[in-house]
Amino acid sequence: MTAQIEIIDVQKHYGSFHALRDINLTIPKGQFVALVGPSGCGKSTLLRSIAGLESISGGTMRIAGEVVNDMPPRKRDLAMVFQSYALYPHMNVRDNLTYALRLKRIPRAERHAKADEVAKVIGLEALLDRYPRELSGGQRQRVAMGRAIIREPKAFLFDEPLSNLDAALRVKMRKEVRALHDRIGATSVYVTHDQIEAMTMADHVVVLRAGVIEQQGRPMELYDRPANRFVAGFIGSPAMNFVPAVTGTDGRSVTLEMTSNARLPMDIQIAEGRPVTAGLRPEHLEICAPDPEDGMTITVGAIERTGSSCYLFSEEAPEIIIVTDGATGVQQGERIGLRIRPERVHLFDRDSTVSLRG
Amino acid sequence: MTRLIRSLRDGIGFDTLLIILALFYLFVFAGLPLIYNVIISFQRVDVFSLGTLWHPNVGFENYERVFNDPLARRVLINTLIFTIGSVALQFTLGFAAALFFHQRFPGATWFRGLFLAGWIMPGLVVGVLWNWLLSGDFGVINHVLKSMGWIDSAIFWRSDTAWSLYAVMMANVWYGMPFNMILLSVGLAAIPDDLYEAAELDGANAWQRFWTITLPMMRSTIGAVLALGVIFTLQQFDLFAAITQGGPAGSSTVAQYWSWELSFREFDFGRGAVISVMMIVVVLFVSLIYVRSTRAETRL
Repeated sequence: MTAQIEIIDVQKHYGSFHALRDINLTIPKGQFVALVGPSGCGKSTLLRSIAGLESISGGTMRIAGEVVNDMPPRKRDLAMVFQSYALYPHMNVRDNLTYALRLKRIPRAERHAKADEVAKVIGLEALLDRYPRELSGGQRQRVAMGRAIIREPKAFLFDEPLSNLDAALRVKMRKEVRALHDRIGATSVYVTHDQIEAMTMADHVVVLRAGVIEQQGRPMELYDRPANRFVAGFIGSPAMNFVPAVTGTDGRSVTLEMTSNARLPMDIQIAEGRPVTAGLRPEHLEICAPDPEDGMTITVGAIERTGSSCYLFSEEAPEIIIVTDGATGVQQGERIGLRIRPERVHLFDRDSTVSLRG
Repeated sequence: MTRLIRSLRDGIGFDTLLIILALFYLFVFAGLPLIYNVIISFQRVDVFSLGTLWHPNVGFENYERVFNDPLARRVLINTLIFTIGSVALQFTLGFAAALFFHQRFPGATWFRGLFLAGWIMPGLVVGVLWNWLLSGDFGVINHVLKSMGWIDSAIFWRSDTAWSLYAVMMANVWYGMPFNMILLSVGLAAIPDDLYEAAELDGANAWQRFWTITLPMMRSTIGAVLALGVIFTLQQFDLFAAITQGGPAGSSTVAQYWSWELSFREFDFGRGAVISVMMIVVVLFVSLIYVRSTRAETRL
């Protein structure tokens, strides 16, 4: 596949603040890439740098093979969907959709035909004569998408486009955006702070923190093989449990530093006596009968039931969260045993926080 | 009685009371004088009958005398030139300055604030300052023009019938420009940055962004600024009083100054009122534009 967007060693400084460090990212044509991370991690800055709304301080950026470091946004042929939608308030939906075509001096009849076509794709045929102020949040969102689609740009840039919608609509639009992408097959870069959006929509997820790419890969790769403790904690909901542990003398097990001093067998060989952090996903912990020997045992503190599933919180520190079947009969105050398959235990070096699974 | 008091304290009675107070004030101090002004424009009012509330009716005699006055035509043309010229220049310069200070550079807001210094000065003081600047013998303006080689001999701005009106206009443009700039700056600041960014990504260059985003988004602000500009210019009196006193030979007399002259120099209050009445009609019309503009503002 040809690279549509290539980002090589890109740096961004704001005065003495280093907003992006050594960013390397290659986005093949037609791929849907999500940039995800906590606020202030640089994901929006990276997106705006691709758009040309921010200049980069170092490195190289190529779009469709052409170096764009000093190219103004209007020459880059990219379409952006803003968090605020940034619809032109003084234009009706049709004029909003065709604004870019008007600038290109495309004849009126052709413009309107195109607007009708795009309106059909995004389901806005009936609203073409309305003004943005007369639309609901979801409809505005669609207009913003339509304005991007109509241009057939080299790539789509999305800046948290769903964060102003209510939860139900967000789930619906998530699917629609992805379906639209599959239909037109355009290269897309999608910024979000919501790891679920990133996981469900993207082909390739880039996790950023403090201006650095912590890990990138397919969504399930990040879930199954997080490169470090940050990514492990960021991907997955509820977040992974982290328990301090020490590897056993045989190098094939770890002992958790919990009140119950549980010993977990491992499927990999590790140096003995090494202080580590064990990462246990709440959905990977299974409830079993308490094993007083060297099994993991906790006392159930709070219980949250969502109907389909049930979250159990341990009473002891460090707090352990377990996700289990919604129909579970576990009661508050009950002592329960926990087990986990060895290959599902994540181990991180306690100082560098890097994963020991390599 | 207690119900009335309770309504005043807790209910909509309080809102009504506030509205009544404001309306009462407006009626007594703005409505009545306006109506009285219209009435005396149809009456003969001179120094001897000034003390009485009611004066002899003369029908349209005052109006006829004003329109047949040899000065009337001059005053009408002067007022048009002065108003249109002042508003156009104040607006263009104000908009240019607003756009300039909208660019982000160090000290932009600070410099913009300095511009207001001119606006908060009393009109008479501004007039006196411009008197010096415009002075034919020692004025700075003549000095600059001469050293640039643009004129050979001094222009006597205030005493030359060809220049006197423009002398006042210059001062008025300087005086009113900061107000235009501030209102337009507020309008510019209200346009979200992401609209410009979206337009930029849509392929608009700076010029296209100005015409397709800035101007249409500023429509209501521009309407309001122009309407207020016309009203303030029609009110401008201090500068005329300080710089030319309407002269020489009426060459810089505008409607508002003429009205004052007729009323308070010639003590012919009837004719003075006639001019006021006609100006009220113009201002009412402009106010309508202003109200419409500000209403559109809240709708966006």
